[in-house]
Amino acid sequence: MTLQEITGSAHNFEECMKCTVCTAYCPVVPVNPRYPGPKQAGPDGERLRLKDPEFFDEALKYCLNCKRCEVVCPSGVNVADIIQEARIRYSKSKPKLRDRILASTDFMGSMVRPIAPMVNGVLSLGLTKSIMDGVLAVDKHRTFPKYSFESFEGWFKRNAEASQKQYKEKVAYFHGCYVGYNFPQLGKDFVKVMNALGIGVELLDKEKCCGVAMISNGMSEAARKNALNNSAAIAKVAASGMRVLATSSTCTFTMRDEYPELLKVDNSAWRNSLLLATRFIYEAVSSGRKKLVFRDSYKARIAYHTPCHLEKLGWGIFSTGLIKMIPGVELIHLDSNCCGIAGTYGFKKENYEASQAIGKALFDDIASAAADFVACDCETCKWQIEMSTGNKVLHPVSILAEALDLDLTAEANK
Amino acid sequence: MPKSYKDNEFDVIVIGGGITGAGTARDCAMRGLKVLLIERHDIATGASGRNHGLLHSGARYAVTDRESASECIEENMILRRIASHCVDETDGFFITLPEDDLEYQAKFVESCTAAGIRAEIIDPEEARRLEPSVNPDLIGAVRVPDGSVDPFRLCAANMLDAKLHGAKVLVHTEVTEIIKEGDTVLGVRTVDHVSGGAQEWYAPVTVNAGGIWGHGIAEMAGVQVGMFPAKGALLIFAHRVNNIVINRCRKPANADILVPGDTVCIIGTTSTRVPYEECDNMKVTPEEVDLLLTEGAKLAPSLATTRILRAYAGVRPLVSADNDPTGRNISRGIVCLDHEERDGLKGFVTITGGKLMTYRLMAEKAADVVCRKLGLERACQTAVTPLPGSELGGFRETVKKLWTMPTTYQKATTSRAGASARNIEKGVGLVCECEEVSSGEVDYAIRNLDVHSLTDLRRRTRVGMGTCQGELCACRAAGMLAAAHGCAERARDDMREFMNERWKGNRPIAWGDTLRECEFTNWIYNHVLGL
Amino acid sequence: MKFQVIIIGGGLAGLTAGLSLQKKGVSCAIISSGENALHFSSGSFSGDCPEEVVPLFAEAGVVLKGNPAKDSWRFTPSGSMQKVRLAFEDVTLYEEDKIKASKVLIANPEGFIDFPTAFIADGLSQQGVSCKVKSFSLPCLKTLRESPSEMRSVGIAKKLDCRINEVAGAIHKLLDGEDLVVLPQVFGLTSPEPVRALRDAVPAEISFIGTMPPSVPGIRVQMQLKKAFEKAGGTFLMGDTAVSAEISDGTVRFIRTRNLDSHILTADNYILASGTFFSKGLSSTMQKIYEPLFGLDVDCPTERTQWYSEDVFAPQPYMAAGVVTDADLHPLKDGQPVTNLFAAGSILAGEKNAGMALTSTFKVVKKIAL
Repeated sequence: MTLQEITGSAHNFEECMKCTVCTAYCPVVPVNPRYPGPKQAGPDGERLRLKDPEFFDEALKYCLNCKRCEVVCPSGVNVADIIQEARIRYSKSKPKLRDRILASTDFMGSMVRPIAPMVNGVLSLGLTKSIMDGVLAVDKHRTFPKYSFESFEGWFKRNAEASQKQYKEKVAYFHGCYVGYNFPQLGKDFVKVMNALGIGVELLDKEKCCGVAMISNGMSEAARKNALNNSAAIAKVAASGMRVLATSSTCTFTMRDEYPELLKVDNSAWRNSLLLATRFIYEAVSSGRKKLVFRDSYKARIAYHTPCHLEKLGWGIFSTGLIKMIPGVELIHLDSNCCGIAGTYGFKKENYEASQAIGKALFDDIASAAADFVACDCETCKWQIEMSTGNKVLHPVSILAEALDLDLTAEANK
Repeated sequence: MPKSYKDNEFDVIVIGGGITGAGTARDCAMRGLKVLLIERHDIATGASGRNHGLLHSGARYAVTDRESASECIEENMILRRIASHCVDETDGFFITLPEDDLEYQAKFVESCTAAGIRAEIIDPEEARRLEPSVNPDLIGAVRVPDGSVDPFRLCAANMLDAKLHGAKVLVHTEVTEIIKEGDTVLGVRTVDHVSGGAQEWYAPVTVNAGGIWGHGIAEMAGVQVGMFPAKGALLIFAHRVNNIVINRCRKPANADILVPGDTVCIIGTTSTRVPYEECDNMKVTPEEVDLLLTEGAKLAPSLATTRILRAYAGVRPLVSADNDPTGRNISRGIVCLDHEERDGLKGFVTITGGKLMTYRLMAEKAADVVCRKLGLERACQTAVTPLPGSELGGFRETVKKLWTMPTTYQKATTSRAGASARNIEKGVGLVCECEEVSSGEVDYAIRNLDVHSLTDLRRRTRVGMGTCQGELCACRAAGMLAAAHGCAERARDDMREFMNERWKGNRPIAWGDTLRECEFTNWIYNHVLGL
Repeated sequence: MKFQVIIIGGGLAGLTAGLSLQKKGVSCAIISSGENALHFSSGSFSGDCPEEVVPLFAEAGVVLKGNPAKDSWRFTPSGSMQKVRLAFEDVTLYEEDKIKASKVLIANPEGFIDFPTAFIADGLSQQGVSCKVKSFSLPCLKTLRESPSEMRSVGIAKKLDCRINEVAGAIHKLLDGEDLVVLPQVFGLTSPEPVRALRDAVPAEISFIGTMPPSVPGIRVQMQLKKAFEKAGGTFLMGDTAVSAEISDGTVRFIRTRNLDSHILTADNYILASGTFFSKGLSSTMQKIYEPLFGLDVDCPTERTQWYSEDVFAPQPYMAAGVVTDADLHPLKDGQPVTNLFAAGSILAGEKNAGMALTSTFKVVKKIAL
């Protein structure tokens, strides 16, 4: 080996040039003076922590893990990964009961689903909210995502699974907790669209929550367990040459990038088989392999919001590209800003104000866009935007389901 | 009746603000002498600040030089007590690689034990576990009580304590002449490099603690000290690769010590004889860089892929132990010459040789001679009295002062200032972001630690010593110096000089990320600031 | 995905090329590895600037002062006067190397150490202009001061931009017959409005002078140009990096990026505007300086020791390194031009400045879209 042949250091944090661009774009810094900022918390702090782990500052928990620092970094430093890894490695504080509850999205989902109407009722009662606010420190302003009475998986088994056998081409669907327990409609739309494209849908063998909420709540061990489970399930499908599609940009990002980086779960065997549904459909259509036939009557003025993790994935062009294919659509590209929810972050009482302050720029932008509705690939952004602006938020796949002439599309793809 | 002094009269004049001079000044001042310390540049500008910063256990010398080894381990233990805020108790490994002779290990351990140095053979597997960066191919390892010591902090603390005991300290003041009458040294004539003023100072004893430059000072006094300048080049890496000192278990050779020090680690050294005239301007050659990297990667392979911050070189003040002018009999031990006994020159003492971490013993020997010459019997107290910053008493006050501050600020401030952190005000924001140096810490240094320039400030606070090498902090600190000294022009010239001094150390290793950083720094200072 | 032109690099050259082409109806994608050197701008351009840049930027809402073909002077944060051609509206330009003012107030937010007021005051007094340094504070800056690292240009701008009236009031109180107020560039992060509003509200000329990075006006201009580019229909791939390129028969066939992995990007023409070392347009090892994406021919001294000048403030040979091109700005690879690739901006070998970057950019734009 010739010494120092590589240009950069093998240590990613050493590529930091101290230019401070990350701090300039960090959404947390202007609203929380206790947060040291991505540069100090990330590469600068890493160097100090290597000197002595006691340099770890618990204030790193204020990082949203929105990855905007990484997107803007001119040097390719994985700033947020450095921060999250430091939390995993050095943090001494144990996650609180509240954080465990918020993080255990699929556990909560499966527990409460059978009694969903009651839970939804209780969760929306002012008194309960006040108790949660006081005891669990979940902010009382929050509207809890509603739990659905029937899980997506239940619906799929009863209503769709049998008919998927007729399709020769197949994809597997990672629906995520949100579609699974809170909003099965998106999953139903997904199946509708895929079927219209002549593609059958399968579910993964025992899908578990991708783990993103556990990572951000300091439960990396639990997250790693889920990651290993999902990795095995996806690897099995991918080995057969099938693509695995997801509708959640955050789940997709977590499984592709955070599994190997943070949870040290090797996904090289299947990383490229896991795609966001919009990218898959865009590629299929733009290559001429599949066709979309739209309803003439579909008209909409849509404001598109790029979620942070989609920004980091760099795949927003596929979602907007797809929406732009709809003839009756006028698309407004909202400025790229964090909505402030960042998964479970905004649900915590101590973060509520910061969360809303972060989102303000986006909310103002949405208000001035005067769109019929907002389009977005992320479920937590959807909650935040719907709660904070009153605007309806639809997933691009749901928009397609609405705008397509499903019969003609199915015909065209036969 | 107490003796009365004129303003320019002292009991002893110490020439040289390296660690030896600072230590000697402190020791003499603590023995109640009226002391003047004169330094032509700043503290630790010579060999004191240009070495590994290794707190030797003595193991390195155990086989070849038993006396040095014993001195080292004794002083090692003393420094842990009196200078705890300058010392990092890391421990050290002496590793045997496949190409080394494993039999040397037995002889090494036996010699260490004989010298009173704890030396424990550990399993290679255990060595890899304790220090993951170590070359995994090692076939043997011995654990010894090595450590690291911050030379600037140590020097500054000695100087501060000398002042607290009544010493007068003149930095940026150069001795231009030794004032003699017949066979007696009466004092020195100096020039102040800041004001340009010339002055005379008198004392019955003058101590030459000029390190390698002591050669020239002795000549000025009309005596010869046989010095043999040996250049040693070192590389600083941008972060700590290892947390335990790594040495090779073989006869001492080039680039066989890797020392973790503060936020960085340092590999060294080379050893080349250089002419005395070149001592003021040492440059590291590409060949030296290659050698250091190649050999260094044998200790810790990841050095080959770690960013390098700087290259620098120091000059060891090696002295011939006797009067042999050929330099065949060179010692690394302590040399204390009473020139009255040796050359018939009264009132002049040279203290040289030794090592950074045996400075206290050197100072004790020199102060003993000074006292003897003054006809005084005063006991040395430096082995038992902690330096400012290492006092046990300051703990509660420090905690009280800092507990509301962010964790990193607390840690950074106390890791540098020790118990003196209680005297540091909060200030606004960070000056140096890489090293977490607050404006309060900079203020404290400017007010209390004889800071005249950015380079002086760097030695006392680590401003500009981090990854960005002054890119962000130089301008901020220069602004603070301009305000403190009331002279913007001087501060601006100083900033130019500082950036050039940083560049000198970057140049030999400016490729990859280091070159990127240099380019960025150039944009800021040339284009944005318009220097 | 297919575009007419793919531009590698979203800095001054890349954005100018993209905006200019897109306005001519040429579909462009810009691949930008994070933010770029505009974020460290001095707020001014030196070197011969092409005239076209002024109207092009104006359409994006970026006002450029000065004459593209004639030198003006700007007052720098180190107190010196520097020759420039064009400047953002924040900067005050002078026709000669002398400030036009009789009495100056230097006003700085309290506790802001990224603005060397002592040097500025010294520069003014060397010109024989009397000045005073005063600081002002607003309650909203208190929280910034609590954080050890947030009393920085952008952090201050985020607080002050929506409180211009309060700032104007604070400066008013400090005024004592001065005809020029010098302020740090900590205003106008997302639009030039705060800069204009402050000028309207204070009864003296205001000159906004650069701070330590990041540059507030630089970030704003980058944002304005990027928005204009996207509004004109351009695709901006932010935070993505071109990692490999396929070249055969002297032609670029496609580009792969880190984020899009297997999804290749193709275009009729490609523009390499990837900058120098900082932005990784050029890379270096202990042995060589090279262009990492296409492996183009690079002009630089072969011996490492020849890359540097001893004086850090003297021209540095490594900074003049760059790719070699033919007369049409097609870079050479193994001595042969790559026919559908152009190089623009500081990636070109030779002396570098904004004027040279813009001139080469417009030359490339004309080659692609007549």
